[in-house]
Amino acid sequence: MTANTSRDSRSGLRNCTVNLRDLTILIADPGSYMRRVVYGMLRGFGANRILEVGDATGVLTALTNQKVDILICDAKLPPQGGLAVTQAIRRNTADENRTLPILIMTSDTKQATVKNARDAGASMVVAKPMSPTTLYDRLVWIAFDRRQFIDCPTYFGPDRRFKIEGYPTGVGRRASDKIIQVGEETGPNLDQDDIDSLFMAARAGQSE
Amino acid sequence: MNDKTSGPVRIFSVSTRFQEMAQRPGGLPREIAIERAEVQIEEFKAEFVDWVDRELAELTAAFDSATAQGGPDEAAIEAMYLRCRQLRDTGSTMGLELITFVADNLCQMIDGMRSGSAAYDPAKIECHIDALLLAKTEPYRNMDPDQVFEMIDGLLRVRERAHLRPATEAQ
Repeated sequence: MTANTSRDSRSGLRNCTVNLRDLTILIADPGSYMRRVVYGMLRGFGANRILEVGDATGVLTALTNQKVDILICDAKLPPQGGLAVTQAIRRNTADENRTLPILIMTSDTKQATVKNARDAGASMVVAKPMSPTTLYDRLVWIAFDRRQFIDCPTYFGPDRRFKIEGYPTGVGRRASDKIIQVGEETGPNLDQDDIDSLFMAARAGQSE
Repeated sequence: MNDKTSGPVRIFSVSTRFQEMAQRPGGLPREIAIERAEVQIEEFKAEFVDWVDRELAELTAAFDSATAQGGPDEAAIEAMYLRCRQLRDTGSTMGLELITFVADNLCQMIDGMRSGSAAYDPAKIECHIDALLLAKTEPYRNMDPDQVFEMIDGLLRVRERAHLRPATEAQ
């Protein structure tokens, strides 16, 4: 599925709304102010049960102590990182949270990083800095996501199968990425549309 | 959960409580939800400058600590990286583009140091901290980067040079 198709598909969700009332949302970010900002956005969207933690231990404690309906987690959550937390949740066969929707927030939107998030079992990745619009649309996307889950020896999580047609040079870079780089090139940063396309399953009949 | 296949690979449908509940009628229309979120963020703006002050103090403390011990260890680099990353991420969300730009430039430079593609140079970090201290004050706070072209151009060149230096080069 190309980025354009993903845009078309998302535009179909533009008319969808999400009702976050009485859903327990867990925000996990090391930055207290960032947590506050996300908290504010969610309150604006109508959420009334929002928990905040600053590290991975807090996530696991919160998941143990109460029913959480969605985790919004920073990719660099200390100490192991949000992707390791995602993987731990998905791989714990005894955990009822295995299928928990997990939205990863990341400032590092290199293709390799986004793929790692997807391979860890993230439901969706949202690029930081994010606006209320970006967060709202990703929540809608997760709410109406019809992807199936895959359980195999090497992976547990939402179906990762996708098709992209490559990234023309420069597409998806941040506006500030205009300096030559001598260091190891690990791929361009992706914009939110590119990230979305990575998460779109291309299998027939799934892209309603 | 409905199993569709058997064997080593299972493919199954999941309907989470989030999906069931979020699709209930009664949610705020998209435009109103986004507008209300923006109002909430606007209310936090008054506290933002205080928060920037605290983050900058932490960034400076990490930098001073690295300088005092003759160079940064991994913990100091990570502490600096965390602070400038947070400044970048929240700065943009709060609409303070100059702070975001300077913090982003510093993030990219520290990223280079972490990966080994750029040498640690205290002077280059210090000039970014100075730029952040300036960017948080009036009238710079609400300026866009293109309104302070000379400063931005200078910082971009500093970062460019940092990446051009071999990582093994002495500070």
